[in-house]
Amino acid sequence: MTLYHFGNCLALVYVPYYLTYKYSGLSEYGAFWKCIQAGGIYIFTQLVKMLILATFFPTADNIGYKGFDIFGEFFKSTIDIADLIGIYIVLNGIPGKGHAKVLTAGIGWAGAEVVLTRFLLLWIGARGAEFDWKYMQKSLESNIYLVQHITTATLVWLWSRHDLKQSLVPVVVSMLLLTVYRPLISDFLIMSFTIGPWSALFIKAIAATIMGTLTLHIYAALAYTIGIF
Amino acid sequence: MWVDECDSFAELCRGYLPYYLLIFLPLFIIISPANPVTASHEFPAFRMSQYDLHGVPHGCRSASISLEARSLAGWTTSRHCIVVRALDLNPETFQSIRQKAGALIVVLPEKINKLTQNEIQHIMSLEESMIHGPETPIPVYFVQWNSELQIILQDIEHSFIADDKTRSAAEALFNSISASGYQVVVSTSQPIIKNDIKVATLQGKLTGTGAEDKLPTIALVAHYDSNGVAPELSFGAESNASGLAMLLELARLFSVLYSIGRSRPRHNLIFIVTGAGKLNFQGSKKWLEDQLDGLEGSVIQDASYVICLDSVSSSNDLYVHVSKPPKESSPGGLIYKELKAVSDSFGYSNIEGVHKKINLADESLAWEHERYSIRRLPAATLSTLKSHEDPLRNTILDIVQEVQVDRLYKHTSVVAEALARHIYNISYSKIFAESLSISKDSLNMWMNFLASQPRAGSLLSDKQNILVNTLKEAMQKYLGDVKVTLHTPDKRDPEFVFYDVTKAMLNVYSVKPAVFDLFLTIAIIAYLGAVYLIVHNFSHIYNFAIRISSKSKAF
Repeated sequence: MTLYHFGNCLALVYVPYYLTYKYSGLSEYGAFWKCIQAGGIYIFTQLVKMLILATFFPTADNIGYKGFDIFGEFFKSTIDIADLIGIYIVLNGIPGKGHAKVLTAGIGWAGAEVVLTRFLLLWIGARGAEFDWKYMQKSLESNIYLVQHITTATLVWLWSRHDLKQSLVPVVVSMLLLTVYRPLISDFLIMSFTIGPWSALFIKAIAATIMGTLTLHIYAALAYTIGIF
Repeated sequence: MWVDECDSFAELCRGYLPYYLLIFLPLFIIISPANPVTASHEFPAFRMSQYDLHGVPHGCRSASISLEARSLAGWTTSRHCIVVRALDLNPETFQSIRQKAGALIVVLPEKINKLTQNEIQHIMSLEESMIHGPETPIPVYFVQWNSELQIILQDIEHSFIADDKTRSAAEALFNSISASGYQVVVSTSQPIIKNDIKVATLQGKLTGTGAEDKLPTIALVAHYDSNGVAPELSFGAESNASGLAMLLELARLFSVLYSIGRSRPRHNLIFIVTGAGKLNFQGSKKWLEDQLDGLEGSVIQDASYVICLDSVSSSNDLYVHVSKPPKESSPGGLIYKELKAVSDSFGYSNIEGVHKKINLADESLAWEHERYSIRRLPAATLSTLKSHEDPLRNTILDIVQEVQVDRLYKHTSVVAEALARHIYNISYSKIFAESLSISKDSLNMWMNFLASQPRAGSLLSDKQNILVNTLKEAMQKYLGDVKVTLHTPDKRDPEFVFYDVTKAMLNVYSVKPAVFDLFLTIAIIAYLGAVYLIVHNFSHIYNFAIRISSKSKAF
């Protein structure tokens, strides 16, 4: 709407990232450079994903096509496993231990995404004369993504640990798969139940919270046994 | 701590960043969301006509808008732009809007060709009051209906009601925060006078057998421009695509008769297609001045009769408008008699004579034949309209209707037959039959071609106009001596002046009041405070999680 509105949106998007970085203790580790590296790997991963998508899933030329091709979308979502690999590489590249490692990977990854996908959108959209709730929703959504990406980083870390209890491995793997197919599932639900944007946002927030809580629970147990505090 | 960060950042800039940028900057641009941001609603809008005739300004005098949209019931000051359906607006409210509001956007009905008779009357009377009333200082635009506009119209009708007094202060406050307003923006330059206006008048001729100068001459005249409240919306099917279609069809038929030596009559026929007919028949006036006051002899000087064709497809009656009743034995009287006889024998087109004296005190003449009658040429106008004040001659609702071509066909056959009987001086057989008959397809083609484009005078006044060239080619196909006369109004004291900016892009932005932004900021600060508390106290949550998991392990 105005520059003021743009500022509002920007605050809503980036302040939670800053707060997380600042108060989770990362700043004390000097993890800034590591976060940037994580972002670099994020960009590289996206590039690889795009190349694969463009090679194997050429978009249909008829733009007016509105249907929901579950099978094709499923395969496209499968490519998102590359994200997990990317996060795994990031985690390997961080020599720290425990909390800081997971948090750095999560924040770096989410931060790169939010800078690349949100800033331009807000710059073009929220600064224009037109008001649309869409930009507020996008801003809030990016906050949810922060939780999601930290959760994902934690799950990948858990999966890579050999001292994870055998009974929990299927849980972690299924949650990782759920992470990969979450956009597909949410899109499908929104399409089939015609959920409004606000309720969709709310459902996403609830889902992220539940996943986060579960992951925290598993992580806390493991961290306690191997002695990270 | 900050110093460390700065150090590492500086190192980054020195080392890898340039290379990273080189590769990734283009990527940034590609990765960034591709969905184009729909900045606003955009509609093509057509400005109300603006012209000066005989030094008197008419129509809307300004063009650019940047105002808040309000409904007809909700506007109060000149800072509001009124967006209203054409059917909700009436001449009285228009008068008050004209004086006090900031701008006016008129949304035309959804189905413009399926209006009831009442609705047509309503819009035509509105148009008449807009065109013929005093000049309008505010910008006025016309927009075609679409579903997005429908939503905007509903929104502004519900959100702003002028008498806010009945509601409580809290309600008013809440309303002012939650209300979604619209900003109407039309960014164009101030309309300026069009400079090199060239009004084209075309003439073509069919020469009879014998000494050309001694033969009687009949002239057929039709003007090709149309008029309506918005130049870009005046398609003018009835007035005067029908008259021009009839003229071109007559040219085609008679060209066949004239091309065969044996059937070539002892009459000259001239066909004149005039411009600026809606501006007091300026095209005819200038053409006559050129012809009669010129040094060389003219084709029209000794015309035995001039027949103007104007709006010839709106009803089954065909009126012969004259300024002076013709004598029985004069060509006018004879043609009138032939018309009556042919219509009787064919059984359609009731011919009726209408006599109206020329009133020079009027701002403009009633019919085109009066231009010729003033110059002492015997003339008449054929029209299906009984009165020259019929609003159908100046309306944007004048679009092609299905039955129109049928009526045009009937009238054309009557006129063609009567004219042929008069020229050959026979009064029994049917001349245009079988191989040489009136072609409905041709009439249909001309009607649709002419009515498919807005033909307001100001749009057709450029030098190399496509429509004028098409007409010229069509006339060259049938007629000889086709000439195009370009008329430029006098520089110092022009009789008519056109202005540019006939259409523009209308942008409607949905906006929120400034106080809404303030509330949003407060809400965001509260939300960020909550986030801060969660992040700051995360260790408690974490410890709690450890306690639970250690407990669950204990079991």
